[in-house]
Amino acid sequence: MKEIVYIAVGELRYWLRSHLALGGSLVFLMLISITSILTTGHINAENNARVQQQKNAEDTFLTQPDRHPHRMVHYGHYVFRSPPPLATFDPGLDAITGQSIFLEGHRQNTAMFAESGASADLGGLSWLSPALVYQIFAPLIIILLGHGAIAREREAALLTPILSLGVSGYSLVLGKALALLIFIIIIMIPLMVTCTIAVFKGADPIAAGLLFCVYLLYLIVWGIMTLCVSSILHKRSTVLAVLSSCWFIFNLALPSLAVNFVTYTTPLSGKIETDLTLLADLHKVGDGHNINDPAFGQLREQLLKKYNAQSLADLPVNFRGIVAIEGERKLTNVLNSYAARRMAGETQQSQQLANYGWLTPTLAITFISRSIAGTDLANYHRFQKEAEALRFSFVQKLNHAHAEQLSYSDDIQRNKDEASGLKARINASNWKSLGSYHFKKSILSDRVKSAFYSFNILLTWFFEMCIMLFLCARGINS
Amino acid sequence: MMMLQADSLHIKRANRAALNGINFHVNSGEIYALLGGNGAGKSTTLLSFLGFLKPSQGQVRVKGIEVKSNIAAARKVMTYLPESASLYDHMNAYENLKYFLQLAKRHVTESDIQHALNRVSLNQDSWKIKLRDYSKGMRQKVAIALSILRDTDILLLDEPTSGLDPAAIDEFHALIRDLANNGKAILMVTHDVYGACQVAERIGLLRDGQLVGEFSSHSDAPIDPQIVHSAFLRNK
Repeated sequence: MKEIVYIAVGELRYWLRSHLALGGSLVFLMLISITSILTTGHINAENNARVQQQKNAEDTFLTQPDRHPHRMVHYGHYVFRSPPPLATFDPGLDAITGQSIFLEGHRQNTAMFAESGASADLGGLSWLSPALVYQIFAPLIIILLGHGAIAREREAALLTPILSLGVSGYSLVLGKALALLIFIIIIMIPLMVTCTIAVFKGADPIAAGLLFCVYLLYLIVWGIMTLCVSSILHKRSTVLAVLSSCWFIFNLALPSLAVNFVTYTTPLSGKIETDLTLLADLHKVGDGHNINDPAFGQLREQLLKKYNAQSLADLPVNFRGIVAIEGERKLTNVLNSYAARRMAGETQQSQQLANYGWLTPTLAITFISRSIAGTDLANYHRFQKEAEALRFSFVQKLNHAHAEQLSYSDDIQRNKDEASGLKARINASNWKSLGSYHFKKSILSDRVKSAFYSFNILLTWFFEMCIMLFLCARGINS
Repeated sequence: MMMLQADSLHIKRANRAALNGINFHVNSGEIYALLGGNGAGKSTTLLSFLGFLKPSQGQVRVKGIEVKSNIAAARKVMTYLPESASLYDHMNAYENLKYFLQLAKRHVTESDIQHALNRVSLNQDSWKIKLRDYSKGMRQKVAIALSILRDTDILLLDEPTSGLDPAAIDEFHALIRDLANNGKAILMVTHDVYGACQVAERIGLLRDGQLVGEFSSHSDAPIDPQIVHSAFLRNK
């Protein structure tokens, strides 16, 4: 055991005296520090802005005067998606999915993007987050430092003298692995700091801890891969070339190819195509604004019979409001079925993409990281579902007020003159039925469950690498 | 006492016979030089004693231990000095010695290290200089200091004088003679006929993996380099 520590100390001493290793590490630490500061500031500012915008939207809706209820249905309301606390580490899909949805009657609007705060955002380049730095650049610095761990000894003809001292190949490899582990923990300090700040901002400590553990596991996989190649090949230059190729393939080529492949093999219907079929289906459920639409003929007959009324004016409820309720219910069912189909398609694509984690650990850590941080696709779908539930609830509450608080005769006379228009209004206190909305972070168990599959993949990578390292250590000779 | 013994040793490397049934032994307090041209099997012999190459036939024994069956025990009693005096360039002499001794599980004091460095006549000013600035002779001295500090019974030296100037060679020979006088068994492979004759008690001549001749010194006369040289050329 002691010799493992001595070898690790010897390796760390070499890195401390190597300009390349020191320079590379400093550049990495600067990059991750700057990225962490900028992303934390950016996400916190976004969060504050969205909370404020949400409050403004609610205030604006609630301060509307007495109105016709259906005008308020179309006046609409905004909901904003606040980023979860751990988005300061991994913003995930936050930047590429809409942050707000306009809620109104008869429509499920798509999420919109906030105005771009800076023209730099419009360049098509992705925001460099701390998560991305750890996923893409940390393996590079591990390769830079670790590629020579064993190959350097072999190249300098030091392997035979060291082994002749009675040091086993296992001890040698474990000592180098320990040195790399210490280095990995050092470069993970910024991650610890970012996650600790996020915990103070409301993130689950367990989630923050899990994030640390999975990134540690991911970087260990890269560390072991580096040691394996370093112990197999004889020349440092060859080791570096092979590992650089691995880095390019695993981190850049394969994830991009996987996205292309999944998009090609599991295509989603285009928006125009979907909108056209949706429109045709919506026509079938009838127009909730038109009480004479044949789609509501049966409803009319049922109500007249139920209340033993001769005409709509004799009904104790406003038939226009009843039609609006029924129309909205049917229409929402159709919209929800389309939304569910779209979400199922997107989820299927996402799951297929996650399968490519078996080919590259980078995809596995990407999925785990976003799931634990609460910035994945499931989280975005949850926002859309919550927004839709809120939309349906407030529209139907207004429709109920329409049916129960506004008489049918006043309603159909509303455009006759100004006085009739004023009469066809309900009290503004009804707007309070909207309630306030705050997009909360998802519960931890859901996030862990969502990360479970990719975590298994990463764990398999780890065990495979350990077996490879064991075989490489066994094969170390002069 | 017989410290190293090769008994009908056959070694195959890359599907060809690198050693073809050689027999020799080295006693304690003796310097044995294996002479031979390039590819004769000199380094292969050393590596087989260290357990890096397994015999296809025959056996190698270190202090009576069959190397194949207990490599760790065999390595524990030997110090190997490779041709290039492989040491760490980014460390100074002191750090190199400390590191290698830690790996060899040999506990020494600072004064032991100083004593060893003095014994090999390494200028004290250079102790704290990184080895990348050392000459080959200075590196060789550090390597010898390591073998002194390890204090093993057996030394395996691979082309130890290659690249050294005559003064450094003389100094080196004096050092290993001193070690042998203190009971160490030294197996040295070289193609320096005159150097081997100057320092070794016995010389084995290797050719194509076979021991084709053996020469011994006598108490009153060292081995005649002319005879060995002629045999070396004849067998080349």
